[in-house]
Amino acid sequence: MQFRNLRKTYVLMVASLLWSGLATVGLQAEEAQLERIEVYPAEVQLTGVREQAQLVVTGHFADGSIQDLTRAATVSTANAEVVTVDGTVAYPQANGDGALNVEAGGKTATVKVVVTNQDQPQPVSFLYDTLAALSKNSCNAGACHGSPSGKGGFRLSLRAFDPKLDELTLIREDFGRRTNSLDPENSLLLLKPLMKVAHGGGRQIRAGDPAYAVIRDWIAEGCKMDTAEAARPVKIEVYPKSGRVLKKPAMQQQLSVWAHFSDGSVRDVTPLAVFSSSDVEVADVDRNGLVEGLKRGEVAVVVRYLEFIESSFITFVEDVENFVWNDPQVNNYIDVAVDDKLKQLKYLPSDLCTDEEFIRRVYLDVIGILPTLEEVTAFAADEDPAKRDKTIDSLLDRSEFSKFWALKWGDLLRLTSGQVTNEGVYKYYRWVERSFRENQPYDEFATELLTATGSTFSNPAANFYRTSKDMNDCVETISQVFLGARLQCAKCHNHPFERWTQDNYYGMAAFFNRVQRANTKRANEMFIYVSQSGEVTQPRTQQQMKPWAPGVGDIEEPNEFDRRIDFANWLTKPDNPYFAKIEVNRIWSQVFGRGIVEPADDFRDTNPPSNAVLLDQLAKDFVENGYDRKKILATILKSRTYQTSYQPNEFNEDDTKYFSHYQPRLLSAEQLLDAICHVTQVAESFGGLPPGTKATHLPAPDLVNNEFLKIFGQPERQTVCACERTNESNLSMAIQFFNGPLIYNKLKNESNSFRKSITAGEDDTQIITRLYNLAVCRNPSETELKASLDHIASKENRVEALEDICWAILNTNEFLFQH
Amino acid sequence: MNKFSLSLCVAALLLPSLNAQDAVSFKADIAPILINNCLACHGPKKAEGGYRVDTFERFLREGDSGAAAITAGNHDESESLRRIKSEDEFERMPLENDPLAAAEIELIEKWVTEGAKYDAEDPKAFLSTIVPAPTHPTPPEVYPLTVPITSVAFSPDGSQVVTGGYHEVVLWNATDGTLVKRIQNVGQRTFALRFSHDGQHLVAAGGAPGKLGEARIFDAASGDLVTVLGTTSDVVLDVQFSPAGDRLAIAGADSTIRIYEFPAGNLVRAISSHSDWIMAVAWDNEGKRLASASRDKTAKLFDVETGELLVTYSGHNNHVKGVAFHPDNQHIYTAGGDKKVHWWKAADAKKVGELAQGGEVYKLEKIGGVITTSSADRTVRQIDAATQKEVRNYGGHADWTLSSAFHESTKRIAGGAFDGAVKIWNTEDGAEVISFVAAPGAK
Repeated sequence: MQFRNLRKTYVLMVASLLWSGLATVGLQAEEAQLERIEVYPAEVQLTGVREQAQLVVTGHFADGSIQDLTRAATVSTANAEVVTVDGTVAYPQANGDGALNVEAGGKTATVKVVVTNQDQPQPVSFLYDTLAALSKNSCNAGACHGSPSGKGGFRLSLRAFDPKLDELTLIREDFGRRTNSLDPENSLLLLKPLMKVAHGGGRQIRAGDPAYAVIRDWIAEGCKMDTAEAARPVKIEVYPKSGRVLKKPAMQQQLSVWAHFSDGSVRDVTPLAVFSSSDVEVADVDRNGLVEGLKRGEVAVVVRYLEFIESSFITFVEDVENFVWNDPQVNNYIDVAVDDKLKQLKYLPSDLCTDEEFIRRVYLDVIGILPTLEEVTAFAADEDPAKRDKTIDSLLDRSEFSKFWALKWGDLLRLTSGQVTNEGVYKYYRWVERSFRENQPYDEFATELLTATGSTFSNPAANFYRTSKDMNDCVETISQVFLGARLQCAKCHNHPFERWTQDNYYGMAAFFNRVQRANTKRANEMFIYVSQSGEVTQPRTQQQMKPWAPGVGDIEEPNEFDRRIDFANWLTKPDNPYFAKIEVNRIWSQVFGRGIVEPADDFRDTNPPSNAVLLDQLAKDFVENGYDRKKILATILKSRTYQTSYQPNEFNEDDTKYFSHYQPRLLSAEQLLDAICHVTQVAESFGGLPPGTKATHLPAPDLVNNEFLKIFGQPERQTVCACERTNESNLSMAIQFFNGPLIYNKLKNESNSFRKSITAGEDDTQIITRLYNLAVCRNPSETELKASLDHIASKENRVEALEDICWAILNTNEFLFQH
Repeated sequence: MNKFSLSLCVAALLLPSLNAQDAVSFKADIAPILINNCLACHGPKKAEGGYRVDTFERFLREGDSGAAAITAGNHDESESLRRIKSEDEFERMPLENDPLAAAEIELIEKWVTEGAKYDAEDPKAFLSTIVPAPTHPTPPEVYPLTVPITSVAFSPDGSQVVTGGYHEVVLWNATDGTLVKRIQNVGQRTFALRFSHDGQHLVAAGGAPGKLGEARIFDAASGDLVTVLGTTSDVVLDVQFSPAGDRLAIAGADSTIRIYEFPAGNLVRAISSHSDWIMAVAWDNEGKRLASASRDKTAKLFDVETGELLVTYSGHNNHVKGVAFHPDNQHIYTAGGDKKVHWWKAADAKKVGELAQGGEVYKLEKIGGVITTSSADRTVRQIDAATQKEVRNYGGHADWTLSSAFHESTKRIAGGAFDGAVKIWNTEDGAEVISFVAAPGAK
């Protein structure tokens, strides 16, 4: 009864889409033969009057390819008294056994059907039907009635995370105005989204929608709450599972969603699930779960039913004319994983970069600064075929490596004198720097940091709890840095798009709520310790929370002295699904300018990795090698993938996420300032820091006040978000390079590089060549050299002409960008 | 000559009435079609295509397309009619919906043919205010479910208690809870029930959420409908007789207070000052000022003769749901979502004191010197209006109490709850006199 309207809609939907599916089969038939069809589920159980089953029909072709034939299939019932079918959805009629005959592309399959419980009522569940129906129609979305103050005096909990509140609002608030059990279709809750009564949100539902039927029937049954013993959903399952590859033109895929309940029953909840695509340029998904590929690439189709979230990764491929795989050089497993993806999506990797490009790139990435003239010359002269690997290994042992990477971690740990005092920040910085210098295993580093206690002076790691000022700050910082999850939303409500719930947030908090922070008698010192009592109360449910970690759930018997130890133990277990992945992805993103998951600290279902195999293998390697950060970095740098040219070819121009070619990026603020000093040989002075200190070695941004660094995106380190460091170009940057004081003063400096060269008696060609090598690690081309010499000849003043040339070199993209 | 003109006059007088059954009436035939099918998208909240139909004047005015909406006597130059009749589903009104019924389209066509005449007074009046009072559906013979008791009142002699039902008002014996009488042709829900001072009339105020608000005046003895006042587009939440009994103040979800002469029924004044629903109104002891309680978190005080806003009280910082004057005429009681009764000075809206309630207060009533409040803690409280002291509280309900009433001569208090139960207590000893489910036939 309640699904009659749904069926009508479905028939219409299928009818309108049928032609495209059939056309697809016909087209494919020319290329490969359809061998068999497969139907999911293989057997249908309909265990109540409200049940249905969305069939998904898959065609297997002779060439091994598969296609979704759901829209092309014809389904008929062998026993209409037991089960009927509309399109590809089966509906129960009476208890008994039946069968469905499925035909597509000339192939057939039979699905057994068992129908039970048709003689018993199956009341609408408030929690699992009605609230899901409201979510399906976005009634409780953040922009609508799910906003904290609601809309138009009607407030729902965001994505139904608070059923108690919703019960109150829907049934009781304002004298029960919204529902009318004596005349359900005249309920305001239905009249408004139907636009039978003016609704600010416009028309959101149709009388034929399954969600409409659910809400109407729930009202008709008297707006009943679920009984305490009613079965609860425990997980959802999406068919097809991740990994399906669809080839143009057959880029359609019907999904079906199955909820598993605590009593063991499984229900088709496709009509009440919410679908979204992680990349709408690659594929769209409609409200019925039909995915439509638009171009080659990959998407995660994220499926949400109440608080359950699952995704199905689908790859779309297409033939590219004249594409021939060129079997590029393979240095290690990274290249294999990258190539597999490139081959599948038909992108061709670029050639290797030149030695000049390599040495500049690898110096900037590993130690943050440009190579000296001698290093450039020596590298060029070295004829050892393994010279790139040798350079990588030697750079990782340089002192600048640990300082430069301490700068990166300084951003994440919010090292500022403002937060940990002037005295504290040097100690904390040295602690982070030492960890890189000594190549401390990353699991030890994390454990030392997260379980730190004592004086922030004698144990600088304790500063972690100084910058993470309270329980909430701890949860949000630790989850973002170590779990790649942005948990801020879950503080007040379940995360609207992700699987993190409010319970999870406060469960995590129970590891850290006992951390105490006390000032000591020594100025600027703080003492961090752990108290032996104190519990976390979930603000909505008022429940006392046990420490909770993803995957393992509540920790029943936490460490009686320090619960943080339990967290650190969980975090650094080799099978932790987050810890290693987040760090290798972060390291990857540091040298590629883009994570395999991007943004690098934003891991979630709706933001899948661009190469999951690659990420898994890197994480595995990292764990197996004892969380050795230098080693994993070396492996990455030694791959061909890292060493490809930045210049695209005709088969990879539009690739920005699969690492077919190196993506040039603006030098970071500190790198750029050091590079300018390097070219002009005029050092920058940073207040009280020792002369010659490099910008890439600054312990904290607030120790100096450098306008240039700020303009070029030096973060203030107020948040743990990697996004605080920006390298988006802006007008101020252009002005700095056009006629800013920093560059002007260095060009005018009486003892800068080219003035020294003049004094030393070098000729113009020598000086120009030196400047090019300093700035871009190569000799000038003939054209460049000639243009420079012509310019000097045309000017009366040789020094001013050289200033112009140096200025011009500093303004080239080749200098400004890492490439 | 005289004779001839007289007969013409008679003919002129007679003709319209003779044809009345055939001529299409805008207010009776056309306006309801527009309200039910067009207003949601072409009204004050949303004016799709720059076109509105909330008044007759606007219905005739062209939208963004510039095409004449309605041209008297000309179907081809009536864009609205064309869109309603269109065969193209992307053009046909109402969009993405079933087309209007053939009979409805025929009515509109005929009305245009007949000259698109307006048969109400003010062409700028909202359609909801000009349509003739509808005949409401009959209530269920036997209630399959209970309904929240959103209004309760004693009959003037105290022998009966009256409750709002579903599309009806029900009179019950106040001693044994047996059903006495069902008054039908009432709006979907009733939020206030008041007897006129002479006891001859019963006013039931309410309507259908989001669709209709009105106050229906019935002959108390016969149950016949006498007249309908204060028709608006969303429910009426309160109605109050002036102290002299010659005026009615009606207010509700359209945020406006309307004052009518009673029993004449002519509108004296409409006061629009609140920005959200008005939950309750109260007259001062002389009928000169009106106080109002609103969901906009304020209570306001107005001069009845001028409609002027005198003071605004914002002390609740929450929905205000009930209001009453102090017997001294200088102070005002209000109560609401902050679970408190406040009293404050009418002169300057300065708070004087407050009294804690156990839960959100849904209504505050004052009859004689007795204030009663009904709240979410399932309790009715009796407060002495002169001393602000809680005299007694009456528990025992199993659900929120939404409504209450006091009867002076029998000294009884009635309380209606969300679950459909009504209880009557004796105020002298606080004993429960009777408890019953106020839904005919329901168990």
